[in-house]
Amino acid sequence: MITAEWKPIPELVGYLRGHQKVLLLGCATCVAECAAGGEREVETMAPLLRMALAKEGSPVEIVTGTLERQCEPEFIEPFAPAAEGVDAIMSLACGIGMQLLAERFPQIAFYPGVNTTSLSLREAPGLWTTRCAACGDCVLGETFGLCPVSRCAKSLLNGPCGGTRASGSCEINEDTPCIWNLIVERAKVRGQLDRLGAVRRPKDWSNSPAGGPKRMLREDLRP
Amino acid sequence: MAAPANDFQPQITVLYCRQCLSADAQPFEGRRPGQGFAAQLVLLPCSSKMQVHNLMRILEKGVDGVQMVACPEESCQHLVGSLRAEKRLNRAQDLLRQAGLASERLGLHRGQGLSLESVLELASQRAEAVRPLGPNPLKGVNR
Repeated sequence: MITAEWKPIPELVGYLRGHQKVLLLGCATCVAECAAGGEREVETMAPLLRMALAKEGSPVEIVTGTLERQCEPEFIEPFAPAAEGVDAIMSLACGIGMQLLAERFPQIAFYPGVNTTSLSLREAPGLWTTRCAACGDCVLGETFGLCPVSRCAKSLLNGPCGGTRASGSCEINEDTPCIWNLIVERAKVRGQLDRLGAVRRPKDWSNSPAGGPKRMLREDLRP
Repeated sequence: MAAPANDFQPQITVLYCRQCLSADAQPFEGRRPGQGFAAQLVLLPCSSKMQVHNLMRILEKGVDGVQMVACPEESCQHLVGSLRAEKRLNRAQDLLRQAGLASERLGLHRGQGLSLESVLELASQRAEAVRPLGPNPLKGVNR
């Protein structure tokens, strides 16, 4: 899922200071799963911001809503009436949903309520860990289903660096496993350690975010 | 502006787990006036029914303090209910601090075999904890 985290409260208060009526919109999909922008989080953040703003003498009316998916125009449209009369919108969706919302209501001031942070797995209750970097040239077939691009701090593609701890953790964080250690261990289990010695072709980074804004076109699906 | 301390009668909402009460205690829900404060008692089937947004909403309505009463960790009937309640309360307190608001308005006590009078005494203790803060600035502002 796409994960996000609340922006610092003082930053959010700063955005809304001086506004009269704000629409705070959550998204019931990815950001709800990572407890950042679902209905519960909207209904937690709204009173918190109302209290903080009222305390400093600049009360703001905050109305709330949560869309099923902010990244689909069909789900945004029913909320158009709720946007009438507001002078700002704050979104708790990921950066994708946020931009579609801002695009739908270009005349209204728009603010992000969260920082979109990763493509992660809910590894355990309350713990999300990155699994994908959307690099555009997946190597999982060569690395036994474990991603060195997103899960190695250096995105190394040809084996571990010299910083792997004796425990098998990454040198930068004891709580993060060295993904190359896991790759080697899995290769051993599969009896295919020799596969890691193969020379791989250079990775095509042109299809990654570093290659510029992505535009994916499928003519067969076009109207 | 905060009222003078001697005129300030804190309004305390008490969220208490029914399992905390002694067998002979009569569960009570509703308002109970106290000495220098007023308590609104809310009975919960388990303290874990309380969510962070519930606490925020209660404070937003102008309540001066919220006292949660949960079972001891080892005797929670739902095993992790009181632990979850404590974690949620800690989260709510942290958010209040980040927002520049007084986290002392929220408190938790663990207890078992309590009488209704002892629950009210906990409300009294919360009232004394919030008295130096003065009334909730949101009092009368929100629905």
